[in-house]
Amino acid sequence: MASLSEEVLLVVKKVRQRKQDGTLYLMAERIAWGPEGKDRFTVSHLYADIRCQKISPDGKSKIQLQLVLHTGESTTFHFANESSALKDRDAAKELLQQLLPKFKKKANKELEEKNRMLQEDPVLFQLYKDLVVSQVISAEEFWANRLGGINNTDPGLCDNKQEVGISGAFLADIRPQTDGCNGLRYNLTADIIESIFRTYPAVKQKYSENVPHNLTEKEFWTRFFQSHYFHRDRINTGTQDIFSECAKQDDKGLKSMVSQGVKNPLVDLLSNPDVTVKDSSNSAIIKRFNHHSAMVLAAGSLDQASETSSTDGNSRDSDFFQPPVKKVRLQEAIEYEDLQRENGPKTVALNLKKADRYAHGPVPLQSQQYTTSQDIINSVNYIQHEMANYKPNLTQVLSSTSASSAIAALSPGGVLMQAGAQQAINQMVPPEVQGELKHLYAAAGELLRHFWACFPVNTPFLEEKVMKMKSNLERFQMTKLRPFQDKIQRQYLSTNLTGHLEEMLQTAYSKFHIWQTRRMMRKT
Amino acid sequence: VIELNTVHFETLLYDINSLCVCVSPSSCVVCVQGHGVLEMPSGTGKTISLLSLIVAYQRAFPLEVTKLIYCSRTVPEIEKVVEELRKLMEFYSKETGETNNFLALALSSRKNLCIHPEVSSLRFGKEVDGKCHSLTASYIRAQRHSNPNQPVCRFYEEFDAVGRQVPLPAGIYNLDDLKDFGRRKGWCPYYLARYAILHANIVVYSYHYLLDPKIADLVSKELAKKSVVVFDEAHNIDNVCIDSMSVNITRRTLDRCQNNVDTLQNTIQKIKETDAAKLREEYRRLVDGLKEASVARETDIYLSNPVLPDEILQEAVPGTIRTAEHFVGFLRRFLEYLKSRLRVQHVVQESTPQFLKDIFDKVCIDRKPLRFCAERLQSLLRTLEIADIADFSAVTLISNFATLVSTYSQGFTIIIEPFEDRTPTIANPVLHFSCMDPSIAIKPVFQRFQSVVITSGTLSPLDIYPRILDFRPVTMASFTMTLARTCLCPLIVGRGNDQVALSSKFETREDFAVIRNYGNLLLEMSAVVPDGIVAFFTSYVYMENIVASWYEQGILENIQRNKLIFIETQDAAETSMALEKYQEACENGRGAILLSVARGKVSEGIDFVHHFGRAVIMFGVPYVYTQSRILKARLEYLRDQFQIRENDFLTFDAMRHAAQCVGRAIRGKTDYGLMIFADKRYARADKRGKLPRWIQEHITDGSLNLTVDETVQLSKHFLRQMAQPFRQEDQLGLSLLTLEQLQSEEMLKKITQIAHQT
Repeated sequence: MASLSEEVLLVVKKVRQRKQDGTLYLMAERIAWGPEGKDRFTVSHLYADIRCQKISPDGKSKIQLQLVLHTGESTTFHFANESSALKDRDAAKELLQQLLPKFKKKANKELEEKNRMLQEDPVLFQLYKDLVVSQVISAEEFWANRLGGINNTDPGLCDNKQEVGISGAFLADIRPQTDGCNGLRYNLTADIIESIFRTYPAVKQKYSENVPHNLTEKEFWTRFFQSHYFHRDRINTGTQDIFSECAKQDDKGLKSMVSQGVKNPLVDLLSNPDVTVKDSSNSAIIKRFNHHSAMVLAAGSLDQASETSSTDGNSRDSDFFQPPVKKVRLQEAIEYEDLQRENGPKTVALNLKKADRYAHGPVPLQSQQYTTSQDIINSVNYIQHEMANYKPNLTQVLSSTSASSAIAALSPGGVLMQAGAQQAINQMVPPEVQGELKHLYAAAGELLRHFWACFPVNTPFLEEKVMKMKSNLERFQMTKLRPFQDKIQRQYLSTNLTGHLEEMLQTAYSKFHIWQTRRMMRKT
Repeated sequence: VIELNTVHFETLLYDINSLCVCVSPSSCVVCVQGHGVLEMPSGTGKTISLLSLIVAYQRAFPLEVTKLIYCSRTVPEIEKVVEELRKLMEFYSKETGETNNFLALALSSRKNLCIHPEVSSLRFGKEVDGKCHSLTASYIRAQRHSNPNQPVCRFYEEFDAVGRQVPLPAGIYNLDDLKDFGRRKGWCPYYLARYAILHANIVVYSYHYLLDPKIADLVSKELAKKSVVVFDEAHNIDNVCIDSMSVNITRRTLDRCQNNVDTLQNTIQKIKETDAAKLREEYRRLVDGLKEASVARETDIYLSNPVLPDEILQEAVPGTIRTAEHFVGFLRRFLEYLKSRLRVQHVVQESTPQFLKDIFDKVCIDRKPLRFCAERLQSLLRTLEIADIADFSAVTLISNFATLVSTYSQGFTIIIEPFEDRTPTIANPVLHFSCMDPSIAIKPVFQRFQSVVITSGTLSPLDIYPRILDFRPVTMASFTMTLARTCLCPLIVGRGNDQVALSSKFETREDFAVIRNYGNLLLEMSAVVPDGIVAFFTSYVYMENIVASWYEQGILENIQRNKLIFIETQDAAETSMALEKYQEACENGRGAILLSVARGKVSEGIDFVHHFGRAVIMFGVPYVYTQSRILKARLEYLRDQFQIRENDFLTFDAMRHAAQCVGRAIRGKTDYGLMIFADKRYARADKRGKLPRWIQEHITDGSLNLTVDETVQLSKHFLRQMAQPFRQEDQLGLSLLTLEQLQSEEMLKKITQIAHQT
C-alpha cells in the first residue's frame, strides 16, 4: 500500500506508539508510523483525515503528540529520543501545522460538495445507488461527469463558498489562565489567529514581517498579548513595542473610514446645520470598540464590500450619483407599509377545470365538429326547456333490475365501457413497479447521457470511453432491465412498459455499431 | 370650519389618529388665526395630516392663508417633509384631475445647495459660506468689470442676470430638485431658493431661519404676515431660542477680534488715501439714520429683528461712532475692556445694567453707541468691501454682544468664569452672555404670523411650553396612538437581581454594584432582543466611565458574543460612521448595540425604525448638568418670572429628553419596540406623569420597579407576541379605516369623541 514514489518529508526515529518503538514518517499526503524492524506501516493517516493535532504541555515528562481524526479516534505518538525528543516533536508539529490546513480544505471541500449534492438531490442519490453501488460504473466516473458539469454550468456555486464571518467576541474567547507561577497562558487556535489577522490586518502585516526571521511564533504572540495594543486601557509602557505602530495604523484606518463618510444621508450627522464638531477627548476604548466592530463587520462581508465599492465607490466625489440612494432612503422613511394598498398584482390561484388536459398537454386534434357558442347556448336553452317541462311517466319506466344492470354496464369496468376508455398507466401498475421504472429510466438516462456525450469520438480517450460505456449499457440491460422485465411478466402485466427503454438502448447500440464499422473501415 | 372631505389623504387607508387631528380643535388654529400646541406620537401621520389640513385650507381660502412655513430640525427631516408633500400633491392632482399651481420648496444652507464644482466640494458649512461669499459679493462682481480675471461664480452671475425675471414654475422642489433645476438652467440654487420663498406657497426649512435673528434677518424678513408657521419636532424649541440669543466670548475670540480690528484699521487707512469719497458717502448715510428699515417695519413688510430693537430705528447712529476711525477706536476700547474683564480670578455674575454701569465707569462707553454697534459694523464692512465675511466672525460676534447687552435689561445674565469647573488649574476664561428667556427670540414670530403650531412626538407636559415661550395658545392637544396591538412595551427597571437599587443619581453613580447591574441588564437584553438595541446614557462622561468599567469587568466581552458594539463619540463624523455600521450590522442579521448619549446627536434626529431599534434602554434619568451657573441663572429666572419651580423644570427637561430617546424606537404602527427605563426614579408619579400620554398609558402597575430578571421575562413574552404576523386586516376598522368605514356615521362619532377627549 505504500507506493514507492511517495515523497518523504520528515523521518523521526525513536517514536513510540502503543509502547512500541518505531519510526514516524511524514509524507506528502499522509503521516505513517512503522514499528522498528518491520518494513510496513501499522499506522497510516491521510492528512485529509486528521482534524487536529495536540501536543503535551512543555513541563510534562513525556513528550507527546496526539492526532485527532475526523472520526473521533486519536493516535498518540511518544517521542522517546532522550536528547532530542523535544526538538523532534516540534519539528513534526511545525510540519504538520503547515500541511494540515492545506489538506483540510481540499478534502473537505470535495467531500462536502459531493455529500451536499447527494443530500440535496434524491434523484441523484438514487442514481448513485443504482450505478455506483451496484458497480455499473465507478464512483470516479460518476463524479467526473457530475462535478465537472456542475462546475461548468455554474462556476459560482463551487468557487464561491460562503465566507464564514468572525465572531464578535473572539478576543473574549482567549481566556487567559494562570499557570500557577505568576504567568498567564493563552490558548490560541488556528481559528482565533485567523480571526485576529482578518480583523486587524496590521497585526498580520507585523506577523509576516517578523515571524520567521526576528521572532518565533510563540514570542510574537507573547508580545502581542503583553502589548499596549491588546490592552488598550493600560498605559503605554515601552517604546520598543512592535505593536505601537499597529495602533497608529488602526487609527489611520478608522480615520479613513470616517473620512469616507457615510452613504446613507439619513444618518449623516454632519449635514445637520446646528451640529458643531467638538474636540474629542474619548478614551481609547471607545474608539477601539467602534473599530473592532467595524472590522469584524467588514471581514464578514469582504467580498461584497469589494464588489460594491467598485461600483459606487466614487459616489462620494461626484454629486450626481448621490440622489438616487438618497431618494430611495427618503421614500423608505416616509412610507408606512400598513397604509399601502396591497401592491403588486394579486397572484391568481391556478384553477384547473380539466386537470388531465393540463397534464397531458395539447392533443392533436382529430377532425371534430365544432359548435359555435350560439349553438351551445341554444342547446343549453333547449335542454333547460326540456328539463323544465319534463314530466316523468312513471308507468312506463324500466324495472329496477334491468335499470341497475344497465348502470353496471355503463359504469367503468362494465361491459359497455371497456372498449373506449384507455386506462392510464398509473392506474394499472402498482406504485412500487412505477417507482422502479422511474429509477430505471433515470439510470438509463444517465448512462445514455454518458454514452452520447462521447460523440463525436475524436480522441483516444473518448474512444476508450465509448467502448466502456457500451459495455456499461449492456451490463445495465442485463443486470437491471432484464430482471425488471421478468418481474413484470411474472406479475402478468400486459402492457409493454419497458418498450421505450429498449428502444433507447437499441438506438444507442446501432449508433455504436455504425461508429465501429466506420472505424474498422477507416483502419483497413 | 373646513369640511372633512376637502382634506385629502394620499392613501386610501386612513390613520385614525391623523383624522383626529383634522376634526380636533387643532384645526381651529388655522381657522381662527391663533397659536397651538400639539403632541402626537410619530409614525401616526402627524406631518401629512398637518400638511393636508393646511393645504386644504389654503386651497379653500387662498386669501386667508397665503403661505405655509414648515420648520423642522435636521436636513433629512426637511427632505422627508417635502417628499410627503409631494405625495400629497400627486394625490390631489390624481383626485381632482387638475394640475395645481402650488409652489413648494425646501431651503437649506449653501453647503446643501451649492452646485459650484469647487465650492461644493468643501466639507464644512462655514468654508462653503465663506468661499461663496468671496465669489458673489457685490464689490467682487464690481471689480470684475475692471478686471476680468477676477473669479466669480458663473451660477450666481447667470441667476442674477435672468433668474429673477421668471418665477420658479409651480411644483414641489426638494433640495436635490433645486440642484437639478439649477444645473439645468445654470442658476445658483441657493439664491434661487432664497428668492423663490417669497412667492412660494409652502416653504420648508430649518428653525434657525426663523428663530436665529442673524439669519432670519437675511432670509425670512419679508415673508407674508398671513402665513401659518409649523414648528415640527419642537420639543427643544426653547433651547434653540436661547442659543440663538446667547454669546460666549473666550480669550481666543478676543484675540481674533483684535486681529479683525487691526485689519479694519489698515483697510480704512488705505481707503482713506485712495477713495475718501466712499467713507464720506457712508457717513452721510449714517446721518440719515436707519430710516429705511424703520419705514419697512412700520408698513409691516419685515419680520422684526430682536437684535435690532424698534427704538433704534428712529434714531440716527450717534456721532461718536459715525466716522470709521472713531468707530474702530471705539471697538478697540470695548475690546480692551472685555479683555480686562476676562482677567478675573473668580467667578463673576452680573446683570446687564450692572455691566453697562461698569463699562461706563471704567472706559466711558455709553449705552447708546453700544446699541448701534452691530448695525454700524455691518455698514462699515459693506463700505470697506471686505471679501471674506467668515474671517470677521469674531468682531461680528462682539458687536452683536454689544448691541444685545445694551438693549435688554431683562432676561439676560453675564457670567464670567476664569476656568472650567473640572479643570480648576487651567485658566480658560469665558464670558457667557446668556439668554434666559426663550420668548425673546420667538416673540417676533408669534407677533407677526397669524397662526403658529408647535408640534412634536414628545411635548408633555403641554402647559409648560406656552409658559416659557410666553404665548397664549388657542388649543393644546395631546393625542395617543390608537393601536390594534400593543406595540410598545415600556418597562421600568428599578432593581438588579441582587436587589440593588438602580439609579444614576449622583450618590450611587460610581457604585460598582449599580454599574455591574446596568451591565447585566444590557447583557441579558442582548441575548433576548433580536437585531438592534440602542442604549442611552445621561452624559458622555458617564458613558465613558461605565464603558471603561464594563470593559474591566469583562461585561462587554460577553455582550460581544451576542452582538457587535458601537459607541457614539463626540466627533460627528466618527459617530456617523458608527451609526452606519450599526445599521449594516442590524441589516445583515448580526445584530448590534449602539451606546449613545441622551441630548447627543443620535438622540436627536436619528430614527431607529423597525429592526434598527427593537429595544431602547435608558440608563438613568438624563438630568441636565445642574451645577452649571448658566443653568442656575436660568432656573432662578424661571422661578422669578414664570413661577416655575426649579425642580419642576429640571424634571420636565429630563423627562422630555428621556421620552425623546425612547421614542426613537417606535416609528409607526407596524413597528414595535421595548422601552426600558433603567432607573428606579422613573417609577415615581412625578416622573412618570411627565412622559407623553402615548407612552404613559402603556405603563401598568405591573411594569414598575422590576428586577432585571423580571424585565427579561416580560421582554421575552412581548417579543414573542410581536413576532407573530401582523397584517393590514388586523388593523382595519381599529386603527386604520377604509373610505367606507370613514364615512360611516358611527366612526365619525367615535373620531370626534377621541378628538375631544384630548
